[in-house]
Amino acid sequence: MESSALNRYVTRYVTGVTPLAVLSVVLIAALLMMNAATQNSALFGRMYSVLLLVNIFGIVLLIALILLNLFHLIEQYRARVMGTRLTARLLAMFVLLAVLPVSVVFFFSIHTLNRGIDNWFDVRIEKALDDALLLGRSALDALKQDLVKNTQEMVAELETLSARQRAGARRSELSVLNALREQYGITELTLFTQDGKIIASSSEANLDASTLIPDRPSDAILAQIRQRLTYANLDVVGKVGMRLRVVMPVQAREIGAPVRVLQVLQALPARYAKLGESVQSAFAEYEKLVYLRGPLKFGFTLTLSLIALLTLLIAVWAAIFSARRLAAPIRELAEGTRAVAAGDYRTQIPVTSHDEIGILVESFNDMTHRIHRAQVQSKRSQQEAEIQRAYLETVLGHLSSGVLTFNQRLLLRTHNPAAVQILGADLKDAERKSLAWIGEHHPALHAFTEAIDHAASAGQAVWRAQIQISSNNHSRILMLRGTQLPSWRGNRGGYVVVFDDITALIQAQRDAAWGEVARRMAHEIKNPLTPIQLSAERIRHKFMRQVDEAERPILDRATRTIIDQVDSLKSMVNAFSEYARSAQMQTRPVQLNELVHDVVELYKNARGAAAAGVVPLHGAKKGKPAKGKASKPVSTKLDLDAELPVISADSGRLRQVLHNLLLNARDALAGRPKPEIHITTQTVKENGLAFVELKVRDNGPGFPEPLLAHLYEPYVTNKEKGTGLGLAIVKRIVEEHGGTIQAENLAGGGASIIIRLPVGDLSVRSEAADQPNGVPRADKPTHVKEGI
Amino acid sequence: MRVSIKTDWCRSLLALLALTLAGAAAADFTVTDVKPKFIGQSLLLAGNLDLSLTTKVEEALSKGIPLEVIVDIRLYQQRRWLWDKNVASWTLHRRIQYHALSGQYLVSTGEPGADSSESFITQQDALKQLGVFSDFRLALSEAPAEGNYLIEVRANLDIEALPAPLRPVAYTSLAWHLNSGWTTWKVVH
Repeated sequence: MESSALNRYVTRYVTGVTPLAVLSVVLIAALLMMNAATQNSALFGRMYSVLLLVNIFGIVLLIALILLNLFHLIEQYRARVMGTRLTARLLAMFVLLAVLPVSVVFFFSIHTLNRGIDNWFDVRIEKALDDALLLGRSALDALKQDLVKNTQEMVAELETLSARQRAGARRSELSVLNALREQYGITELTLFTQDGKIIASSSEANLDASTLIPDRPSDAILAQIRQRLTYANLDVVGKVGMRLRVVMPVQAREIGAPVRVLQVLQALPARYAKLGESVQSAFAEYEKLVYLRGPLKFGFTLTLSLIALLTLLIAVWAAIFSARRLAAPIRELAEGTRAVAAGDYRTQIPVTSHDEIGILVESFNDMTHRIHRAQVQSKRSQQEAEIQRAYLETVLGHLSSGVLTFNQRLLLRTHNPAAVQILGADLKDAERKSLAWIGEHHPALHAFTEAIDHAASAGQAVWRAQIQISSNNHSRILMLRGTQLPSWRGNRGGYVVVFDDITALIQAQRDAAWGEVARRMAHEIKNPLTPIQLSAERIRHKFMRQVDEAERPILDRATRTIIDQVDSLKSMVNAFSEYARSAQMQTRPVQLNELVHDVVELYKNARGAAAAGVVPLHGAKKGKPAKGKASKPVSTKLDLDAELPVISADSGRLRQVLHNLLLNARDALAGRPKPEIHITTQTVKENGLAFVELKVRDNGPGFPEPLLAHLYEPYVTNKEKGTGLGLAIVKRIVEEHGGTIQAENLAGGGASIIIRLPVGDLSVRSEAADQPNGVPRADKPTHVKEGI
Repeated sequence: MRVSIKTDWCRSLLALLALTLAGAAAADFTVTDVKPKFIGQSLLLAGNLDLSLTTKVEEALSKGIPLEVIVDIRLYQQRRWLWDKNVASWTLHRRIQYHALSGQYLVSTGEPGADSSESFITQQDALKQLGVFSDFRLALSEAPAEGNYLIEVRANLDIEALPAPLRPVAYTSLAWHLNSGWTTWKVVH
């Protein structure tokens, strides 16, 4: 892992632009310096070899780098990396374009260079220089011969002098030397002994101090002199310049006297010296050049070859680089296109140039950007539509009105839960079905479908209808409102039908009307009743004793009838006023089970006493049938839920409800062979709300069918003496508690009244439980069977 | 033309290789006799180097190319248990050049006292003079301590002193590699 990362790092570094560029620059600089060195530049002359080595190594390195690049390219080519084919083709083209001209130029340059160098050397110039040198040498020889001749004369002079002045002091030798020097115009004249010791010396006065010590001939010269030979030569001494040196032995005339040596140093005349130096240097330079012709050619050829090679390599490298560079955007484009084809619209390619390829890349980026944006937009609108749909669904789902939508062919498209609840039919199967189909499969909805069909076929855009449907012995009045949906693309829009169950509303209106009637009646009737009763009692009291014995019973019966009937009328009026009385609820926590126990207990006690008036209700009180049929006791069966929660209610009113229901049941059971009342309590959960359900069943004859629809209306009764207010009051109290009441006939005979009262929130329940005087909850279910 | 360059290239590479492998393989210079001696705070050198040239070098010399001979001298103090200690080292440059006008060879030995250059008629004399050390005095920073001393002497032709165009040729040709190799001589107190 690490090594591959390192490898990649190295590859990137080695195949990158920087190392090659730096190397190229360094090599070009080195070559320039080398070129300068070849032309004898003092600065770079010393560095020539180093430069040569640097160049050779650099070029080897460059070759290595290029090979590495090529290897890398070949690897990519084999791996079929996108763009390498194009890169390879471009590279081949570039290399060909670079190599051909460089090779041609190189070939001709080498040729011209060699010809040019050969042309430097002209035979005539060479001859002229040779001649000049020869001339110079001849001139010097002539001078030398002159000096030798003069020296011989001076030696002869010295020999004669030594003979004459045998006991000659050094002083006289010096003066002779001085005289000779001046006579012959010699620069320096020195007399040595044979072993090189100075006897006397005379030199030009204007010489500087460094030359005060006379120049001593070398041992080689002295050895030559000892063999009686004359030495004559041109001395090339750096500081002094060229001078002629002649050394000659000075023979002594006397036998046994030592041989002395005379050295004559004659500086070349300035003109001679200058010309000689010039000829020498020109000749030497030319000779050197001639000699260096081969090496020079080699050097130039080498430099040129290196330059050519370097140029070639840089060209190859540049070809690799530019081929890559050219192919890069195309490769990226190809990759981008592939990515787009694969569905990735976020692909963006970096714009590296502003040429046509750059424009292409920009267009591509623009295109992918637009596609991406469009995609995002469509996704967003899809989401929005989804949210909208969810919103609508939620709204429709929680709407209390039923909503159905139909398409233009009146096939059911959607429905909401309220619709199902109101219509009492499962509409899931009815989706995409016609109205006729719905009517067929749900006979109870016949009136409903007919109303819609009628309105739609009439082409009404907005319509209303009130219909009545009945299902499960339950009749409901629905208010329908239909609206045509807006048309779309020339197609007729569908329908939306919104409907409400207005049964309760109508019932409430009726209740209100009845309440008003009852109140007025009670008011209007109750007032004259008391005077009537009082008057009847007074008549009876006053005239009972006055009338004849024979008429007395008549009076007694008549007045008693008046009083009884007024009483009866009074109780009826009281019942009405009870019904019409406005609600004054006094709610507190109530445990329904306890209430049921209490009321049932009351009835049990009442039976034992068999006395009228124990049962605190008017309607069925002291009824003869009850008394008369007491022989057949009604058994009461309790099935109470021990876990029944406490509810918030007016216990007095609930007690009245229970009384009314039990009385109704008892009345209904009169004369039945095995009368039985079954009271059940349980907790019911519906739509996330908890209810306490009280069910009172009997095995009597059940409600008469025609009465079923109007059970809760006042004056609806099948009893001889009933006011028809019992169930009306029950319903009113239940509704005051926010509950519902439902009455039905049981399949096996008998009637059932189901009351549901809402359970308040927990706080109410716990509060009730904590109250010391609160009604304790029944700990376990009780199943009691007892007689009333 | 290109072919010849190629062969030159090959040859140069081979020569470079040969050079690095055996630097002293073609030693035409020899250090024949050196007598080093301590005199006070200096080392006195007397001796002879045989500096015979190959024909190629001789030709170059006669064509006016100046030659420079480098004489490397290293002074070591011998130690019994440790390696020898390098006390001092000197590098002497000696030069020979042909003077066309006078037809003589000029030799400069760089010896103090004597004239900077001497001229010789024959090349042999000049080379002989070039190789002669006659009581050549090398200064020491301090008087040498007691003990055994050795000197190492080596003479070689300085290719870097040749004209630039000649250097590649010289480097790549064995004829130009004149090197005596190191020779060791005992120093007398």
